[in-house]
Amino acid sequence: MASVHESLYFNPMLTNGVVHANVFGVRDWVTPHKMALLVLLSELGRAGAQLGLLERRRLNRLLLPLLQGPDMALSRLRKAIEECCPHLAGSVHIRLKLMAEGELKDMEQFFDDLSDSFSGTEPEVHKTSVVGLFLRHMILAYNKLSFSQVYKLYTALQQYFQKDEKKNGADENEMELTNPEELDGKMEKEELDGPLREEDIACSGPLSQKQAEYFLSQQASLLKNDETKALAPASLQKELNNLLKFNPDFAEAHYLSYLNSLRVQDVFSSTHSLLHYFDRLILTGAESKSNGDEGYGRSLRYAALNLAALHCRFGHYQQAELALQEAIRIAQESNDHVCLQHCLSWLYILEQKIFDSCVLLEHSVNKSLHFGLPYLASLGIQSLVQQRAFAGKAANKLMDALKDSDLLHWKHSLSELIDISIAQKTAIWRLYGRSTMALQQAQTLLSMNSLEAVNVGVQQNNTESFAVVLCHLAELHAEQGYFAAASEILKHLKERFPPNSQHAQLWMLFDQKIQFERAMNDGRYHVADSLVAGITALNSIEGVYRKAIVLKAQNQMSEAHKLLQKLLIHCQKIKNTEMVISVLLSMAELYWRSSCHTIALPVLLQALALAREYSLQYLASETLLNLAFSQLILGIPEQALNILHMAIEPVLAHGAVLDKGCAMFLVAKCQVASAASYTPQKKIEALESAILNLNEAKTYFAKVDCKEQLRDVLYFQARLFHTLGKTQERNKCAMLFRQLHQELPAHGVPLINAFK
Amino acid sequence: AVIGRAGAMAAAMVAAVAGGGGDFSDLREIKKQLLSVAERSRERGLQHSGKWAAELAFALEPLPLSELPPPPVLTEEDARDLDAYTLAKSYFDLKEYDRAAYFLRGCKSQKAYFLYMYSRYLSGEKKKDDETVDSLGPLEKGQVKNEALRELRVELSKKHKAQELDGFGLYLYGVVLRKLDLVKEAIDVFVEAAHVLPLHWGAWLELCNLITDKEMLKFLSLPDTWMKEFFLAHIYTELQLIEEALQKYQSLIDAGFSKSTYIISQIAVAYHNIRDIDKALSIFNELRKQDPFRIENMDTFSNLLYVRSMKPELSYLAHNLCEIDKYRVETCCVIGNYYSLRSQHEKAALYFQRALKLNPRYLGAWTLMGHEYMEMKNTSAAIQAYRHAIEVNKRDYRAWYGLGQTYEILKMPFYCLYYYRRAHQLRPNDSRMLVALGECYEKLNQLVESKKCYWRAYAVGDVEKMALVKLAKLHEQLNESEQAAQCYIKYIQDIYSCGEVVEHLEVSTAFRYLAQYYFKCKLWDEASACAQKCCAFNDTREEGKALLRQILQLRNQGETSSTDVAAPFFLPASLSANNTPTRRVSPLNLSSVTP
Repeated sequence: MASVHESLYFNPMLTNGVVHANVFGVRDWVTPHKMALLVLLSELGRAGAQLGLLERRRLNRLLLPLLQGPDMALSRLRKAIEECCPHLAGSVHIRLKLMAEGELKDMEQFFDDLSDSFSGTEPEVHKTSVVGLFLRHMILAYNKLSFSQVYKLYTALQQYFQKDEKKNGADENEMELTNPEELDGKMEKEELDGPLREEDIACSGPLSQKQAEYFLSQQASLLKNDETKALAPASLQKELNNLLKFNPDFAEAHYLSYLNSLRVQDVFSSTHSLLHYFDRLILTGAESKSNGDEGYGRSLRYAALNLAALHCRFGHYQQAELALQEAIRIAQESNDHVCLQHCLSWLYILEQKIFDSCVLLEHSVNKSLHFGLPYLASLGIQSLVQQRAFAGKAANKLMDALKDSDLLHWKHSLSELIDISIAQKTAIWRLYGRSTMALQQAQTLLSMNSLEAVNVGVQQNNTESFAVVLCHLAELHAEQGYFAAASEILKHLKERFPPNSQHAQLWMLFDQKIQFERAMNDGRYHVADSLVAGITALNSIEGVYRKAIVLKAQNQMSEAHKLLQKLLIHCQKIKNTEMVISVLLSMAELYWRSSCHTIALPVLLQALALAREYSLQYLASETLLNLAFSQLILGIPEQALNILHMAIEPVLAHGAVLDKGCAMFLVAKCQVASAASYTPQKKIEALESAILNLNEAKTYFAKVDCKEQLRDVLYFQARLFHTLGKTQERNKCAMLFRQLHQELPAHGVPLINAFK
Repeated sequence: AVIGRAGAMAAAMVAAVAGGGGDFSDLREIKKQLLSVAERSRERGLQHSGKWAAELAFALEPLPLSELPPPPVLTEEDARDLDAYTLAKSYFDLKEYDRAAYFLRGCKSQKAYFLYMYSRYLSGEKKKDDETVDSLGPLEKGQVKNEALRELRVELSKKHKAQELDGFGLYLYGVVLRKLDLVKEAIDVFVEAAHVLPLHWGAWLELCNLITDKEMLKFLSLPDTWMKEFFLAHIYTELQLIEEALQKYQSLIDAGFSKSTYIISQIAVAYHNIRDIDKALSIFNELRKQDPFRIENMDTFSNLLYVRSMKPELSYLAHNLCEIDKYRVETCCVIGNYYSLRSQHEKAALYFQRALKLNPRYLGAWTLMGHEYMEMKNTSAAIQAYRHAIEVNKRDYRAWYGLGQTYEILKMPFYCLYYYRRAHQLRPNDSRMLVALGECYEKLNQLVESKKCYWRAYAVGDVEKMALVKLAKLHEQLNESEQAAQCYIKYIQDIYSCGEVVEHLEVSTAFRYLAQYYFKCKLWDEASACAQKCCAFNDTREEGKALLRQILQLRNQGETSSTDVAAPFFLPASLSANNTPTRRVSPLNLSSVTP
């Protein structure tokens, strides 16, 4: 089941108020890059009417990202301009060259001339326009510089220009060789929006303020959305340390370093970074607002809250609770309802570890809606739906709730939550045993484009929802016998979520489960047994269950029974109904294998009641099959047939191929058994229809390669053909049976007594 | 690495054979060496090392004329470079480093070459400091680097490989490496420098700054000279191994350096570090008598005066220092302390800020400023100051402790646990952190952890003597009356054994509880003894009297039940035996998670 994992609540960039991407007071400084922009602007003004409409429009579109973006190398800037207007790029370059190779007074003259653009009756630039503001900012910043700073700026400009010249000299030869088509529009996009590549950062030395901000926000969003694309933990930490060495006041770097440490599960350095970040944040907060209530009092609350989140992440629930209590207390004292809502959600997460706390959650949803916190509210709804689904609440209500939360998502375009909601639906449909619906939801998510504009060009993020959906997809395919497709999906998962990333455990578990099922089908129990350890490591309950199944298959009944008994008690305690029913079914199977059908019956009835109560339809029909089998053995095949009519439909519609085969086989057996009392004419009809059913079962078994079951079916079919006197068909079946029989070892369970 | 370690061990063995440390039998020889190295340091512009050697030489008996060290012999090369050197040295003394370097280029003699490189280094440093003021943006501020370092490193490493560097050259190479954050290489070079020229104190001092723990010290192969003793004493003080440091200094004094102001001041600092305030104060007073115009270490002295609230003395010190030189970091610090003691916290903060302007790397001022802001209830500024202190030195336990206190004031007991733990890890046997931790745990209702903390605080020697009372109260809360009584007994023993006349607030509480406890246990004699004690205090007098009356009544009723009493209860032998505080302990493992 998809879990609304605590990591979602822990979402620094989105939750209201924890992190402001830009808390440092941005002050403009003249840099060589900005000077190049100024040159561009002045050239633009000078060119005036000579520019064509198209060129002008392209340039205008280029300007805004340039003005707001980080500093870049001159060559990149020139390329960007060249794409819009080659002529202008040339003149900008010449102006810069003149200035850089000239004297200091050239630069001074340039700045003096700049302010002219505002003067006159019809100024070229309006004072309050974007460009005008930029120009004025720059002029102001320049005028503030002391003499030595001006000189420094000039040498920086020279270096900026010379670096470009040098690079050009080196690149000249290569440039000629590359295909000019590669340099078209696509390039620009990549250059401007593409993530900073590792070597870019490594060689560019110290970053400018804007570059640093850009780097931080980008890495943070990558960490959230697509861990694999972010820098490797070690190199990211190196970059951060570098940044912090140059400017220890750059608090956000501490936060990113905290996130980075979380990636590698490092409690010590993550705590250290988190606290350091908040110590720093408190400063900036205190400066901006003298009033303690809004300023740093607020960051104090969030500091405690984040500490709670950290401890929760590392599984220190007791510590987390203490920190949370603290956060709640401070938030209450200062009447901060928004913070209290966050605390409440976290309280739920923590309490969840101990007992079901729907009340808390309902409260949280109500309040969050009231205070206009859609993210929290809908996360609450998701968690609530998950809870209720496990608790067996009516499905229609749950779907209704999910629909409501979807409305909320689309209204506020919370793209991440949309993904989660769909993943949740996939999981819920699977829980209810509606594989087609689950399949449909999974495909919906996978073919949807992300709303977030962070990664342009990348349509989907590598978030947990995608991992969940892909895993379900793989399992669904495996169930239908499309093992090649399933392994293809798993391969894709492995690429998208490398083994050491956050969500890798999910596919690891599913991979092993699928392998386990295959091994069991093939009767390679030793292989299955070896997989159990891996499954246990990822999910202990599942592991124990699988261990019991292997033991059962190896005819170690008493051990299996002991294990199942223990598991049952445990699952009943933690209210894992899905597992309880599975365990009950396995136990019933153990009983009828030991020919204790009378004991198996109440167990099965209990399982059926549970499955019906929690509307786990698929498990219910499986229970019915078991029940029918028991009835068959107990000598009431008519009754069994009745029940089967009820169960066969959902099994054929949604079931796994193996289950379909078993069901058809069982139907055939019942038909034969009940035919004993029929008139000869009717009996022949019944037997023939049984043969048809057996044929169907055979195709199903063949699909998943279940040789043992196949052998049994063939034997049974041969007997039926014999009864009907169809010697040729009988011989054919017998021959096939003989082949399989030689291939496989015979197991102890008599044929008729086996249902699975 | 294995070979290196073996070598170090072999060296250590040799040292043991040579008599376990320096040989101080020939003080005249030592004096000669000191005088000559002072001269040589001065020639190279290494003022501080020169000063140190001269100070130490001054503490020894003067030499007769015949034994004075001869002036250094000039080589052919020296003679060739003499003019350039003389000119450059005078420029150097006038702080015109670039000019000095210009005239020294191409000089081959060791002395001139060193001065050449050193001027270039200092010129770079000076420019760096000047640049910081006019940088082009906030991010660039930290990026200002000493541009000369890289070139210097390349040139020096070439010379180093060719083994053309003398002791001073190696020292400079080490400094350059350290400035480039190449700590490991720097340590190796400094060790080499110490081997080549053991008399140069600067190399030892740099080594002190780079060694962070005892383990590192163990694996260094150091030259076995008498200078090593000074080094060891110094580094023990730095690493808070006070006991060892004091021993070393004592043996140095015994060896004949009793007059050295350097050693006296170091001893005083060591006593300050273990909070033996009286001893430290008396030594500082002595030091001031011997060296009245000394400014170094006076900030530590003022801290001591502050702790003892000795206003007139502090005021006198502040005025005195201000007359000597008011633009010294130490002076500003003393004045800051003075204002702080007079509760003029704004002014105090101002002076600490001034100290920081004079030397941004002066760690103590950040912490002290944090304390001032705390007094002013400006918590955010306090946090800022403490964080700065930690940035300068991660091992500054006072800053961690201060941060903890700040958050405690902000009523975030869980949050401040982290900071207190940090402080505790740095000073495992300081009871103040333990008591603070205990209080936080108590607030968080984590009584088990809290008890652990208080008990440990008591075990390591409680300064404020509050741990036992708090522990007793915790036991009381948990209805563990037996343990509570034990704690109170120990507390009372503690108070009486140190003979403190000062009225301790909690003594009456202790007696009251004990009286009631014994009363409940029907130990009438003890109960009445305690109740009588209670009567001595104002707040418990009435209760004491009432209890006495009750005891009398009950005694009269059941005379037979009274049992014989063996010993006076508040001095049982078994308890008083084992309360000697342990000397050095590992940090307390408070819970499974102690980030």
